[in-house]
Amino acid sequence: MFVLSRLYGYAGKVLRINLNNYEVRVEETPKELVRGYLGGRGFNVRRLYDEVGPEVNPLSPENKLMIATGPLAGLAFPIGARLNVTAKSPQTGLLGDSNVGGHFPAEMKFAGFDQIIIEGRSEKPVYLYIHDGTVEFRDASGLRGLRVSEAYCKIRKELRDVRAQIALVGPAAENLVKFSGIFFNVCRPAARTGLGLVLASKNVKALAVRGDGYLEVANPKKFEEIVSMLEESIYSHQQYWPRRVMGTSRILLAANMLGFLPTKHFQEGTADYSYRVSGERLALEYNVKNRGCFSCILPCSRFYVVKYGPYAGYFGEGPEYEALAGMTVRIGNKDLNAALRLISLINDLGMDVISVSEVISWSMELIEKGFLSKEEVGLNLEWGDVDSVSQLVEMIARREGFGDVLADGVAKAAEKLGRGYELAFHVKGLEMIQADPRGLKGYGLGFAVSSRGADHLRSEPFIELADDPDLGVKLFGEPEATLRLGVRGKGRLVAYYENWCAVVDSIEVCKNIAENMEILQPRQIAEVLNAVVGMEVSEAEVLAVGERIVNLERAYLVREGVRRKDDTLPKRFLAEPMSNGPSKGHTIELDRMLDEYYEVRGWDPTDGVPTAGKLLGLGLNDVVEDLRNRGIRLSEVATLAAEGSVGSGVNALSNHQRVRSFKLFGGG
Amino acid sequence: MVGKKLVVDLTKCVGCRYCELWCSFKHYGVFSSSLSRISLIKDDVLGLDYPTVCTFCNPAPCVASCPTGALSRLDNNVIYVDSGRCTSCSKCVNSCPYGALKLDPNTLKPIACDLCGGDPICVVKCPTGALRIYPTSVIKYGLEELSRLLGKSFEVALQAHKELMRLWGVRIE
Repeated sequence: MFVLSRLYGYAGKVLRINLNNYEVRVEETPKELVRGYLGGRGFNVRRLYDEVGPEVNPLSPENKLMIATGPLAGLAFPIGARLNVTAKSPQTGLLGDSNVGGHFPAEMKFAGFDQIIIEGRSEKPVYLYIHDGTVEFRDASGLRGLRVSEAYCKIRKELRDVRAQIALVGPAAENLVKFSGIFFNVCRPAARTGLGLVLASKNVKALAVRGDGYLEVANPKKFEEIVSMLEESIYSHQQYWPRRVMGTSRILLAANMLGFLPTKHFQEGTADYSYRVSGERLALEYNVKNRGCFSCILPCSRFYVVKYGPYAGYFGEGPEYEALAGMTVRIGNKDLNAALRLISLINDLGMDVISVSEVISWSMELIEKGFLSKEEVGLNLEWGDVDSVSQLVEMIARREGFGDVLADGVAKAAEKLGRGYELAFHVKGLEMIQADPRGLKGYGLGFAVSSRGADHLRSEPFIELADDPDLGVKLFGEPEATLRLGVRGKGRLVAYYENWCAVVDSIEVCKNIAENMEILQPRQIAEVLNAVVGMEVSEAEVLAVGERIVNLERAYLVREGVRRKDDTLPKRFLAEPMSNGPSKGHTIELDRMLDEYYEVRGWDPTDGVPTAGKLLGLGLNDVVEDLRNRGIRLSEVATLAAEGSVGSGVNALSNHQRVRSFKLFGGG
Repeated sequence: MVGKKLVVDLTKCVGCRYCELWCSFKHYGVFSSSLSRISLIKDDVLGLDYPTVCTFCNPAPCVASCPTGALSRLDNNVIYVDSGRCTSCSKCVNSCPYGALKLDPNTLKPIACDLCGGDPICVVKCPTGALRIYPTSVIKYGLEELSRLLGKSFEVALQAHKELMRLWGVRIE
């Protein structure tokens, strides 16, 4: 165990705001929380487990919304600054969690706080102005109904502070849309799992932060050395320029090449018009400059101006791959201009574009298959009919007509409609992202076991795209582990990457750079923590933090009733072979991968519940006690083989040569 | 600063504020946007990213406005603040036409860019080349004769290019 003399890197305080009585409490950032969970996602899930139990209704005042950042935000650390928002999700009823970049996290630390906890419910609509250790509750009655960009401008005028960073909800959240997000810097949403609705349910329209504080590192000289080294490895990385020119929008064309696009609601894995809606085309014809997150030297966000057609003169920031693919191929839309307009509209109304793309493409497929009539929808909702899509988006945000059916998310919509269950593409109530797991089997396993539902960012096992069997043997003792269509070794692969991602989400840096570009491997994270926080921590201990977070999240889900049966994928991916492209003929062999995954994790393969041995080994003794007190049966010991196999993955990866020539990322 | 020119290229600035943090770290050993001599002005609807820097105006309104003579201009053109004479009246801050001068939130004394003694850390660390120091130079290229001989269109193009080169510190004659 390492020794912490003081909390270098951190702001050192936690802000607790109770809206029932407008009471504000400032607490020290607990050192045991730092040691065990590092920050961000780890901080939040620990408190959520402790303070928001299964009896809490997500939309009740008892739910708590937590915003936490990590030890690196606000420092001149070249991999950006992010934060995590967590609450019990009104969309899934389970773990609500979303991670976002931009300028808010650093300003929050300059204002003095590592974590902000919002409890209760305000009687009147308010927004919170948090600056230099204090909180102002400001009247938000004039902000109700305002779109994200409108509210941002109005709050800036009211605060008369050009540097205040603002997070807010749009009208969708006020109208109780389940997949509404919290929007930072106007176009950077913490959108997944409906956290905007939680904030709105507390009668809070926005948070603004501003601070004159400063942050220190434990070893400034070492910090400078590490930063110089990281700068060089980022600037010299072969993904640097493609990412800077296109951000993640470049994935669309690559996904077409490999056959995992979600074309027409995952009916096809490719689209013959993919260039027309690609990041490459945006770069050539639309983008005018870049924008970056706070303290990031790879500014990958793009600002565009539309030059032709009915939307000529329209400008904005983005889009990233998820939004781009969602508003193009997933809904059968070939018109890039219309896609940009739709994405901005969805953002401005304050919704998660991934969930919106699912509920709309789901409706389109139901109409195509004759399970739903156009009369029921009230729109001519055919593939690529962007005018109907635009109207439906507004109807969802206002909960009008058929929009009201869709506004609860695809799982509930199928229930309400009594149709289309098997075509409702979600895991644990969260809609599928824009990748077909039949062409990316490790990702598929990741979607199934992800602690927040169908999402790639919990594991992001990009290395399977290397399609290099030798690498698989070297890292995971199994050639198929690093073949995207392989099955064996995927449990080990996903468990390792989940642990790494949990750490990246907790020190709150950019996953694209830290993980996908392999700039911050666990060994380097240990070095950074040493220089910044003064933690003497080993690579294995860093990964143990990740494993602890993943297990705690699992325990949270188990406490809410989740078991192995819930770790599944929509039937199309399990049973219908891919219809076209390079992944043609494939389904996803989920059960085999799950068996291996649970074994590696030290979870009971019959029900997916962590064993007591595993939880105790991670120091989660109180969790074992809590689960047992609630009558949840835990197996006693983890299989020793499982512990060994995670360990070997760790050692192997730390020694491997960096592989940068992945086909997907424009290298090979 | 003689023979060098600090250039801000707005098409390249991404608003990452890496410059702010290194500025505060170099001067104070800590990280704080409020302690930075360079400040990013941003608007996320408009995509505005504008680094506000001292332009070293001559004559300098901040120096002229100081009632106690705490501000003065050094030989290398930068503003020197004599903290002992400063009364934290903020007149200098208000007089700056660019909003580039601010008070240290802890000491309430103005903090003015010192160009880090000639090798500004903001420029060194800028990831996109939005901030750059260019050496100033003069190139004799026989412009007038060239323009006369190569015609009107060349002359117009050359004028535009001259402006561009001027941004890069090169004066064409």
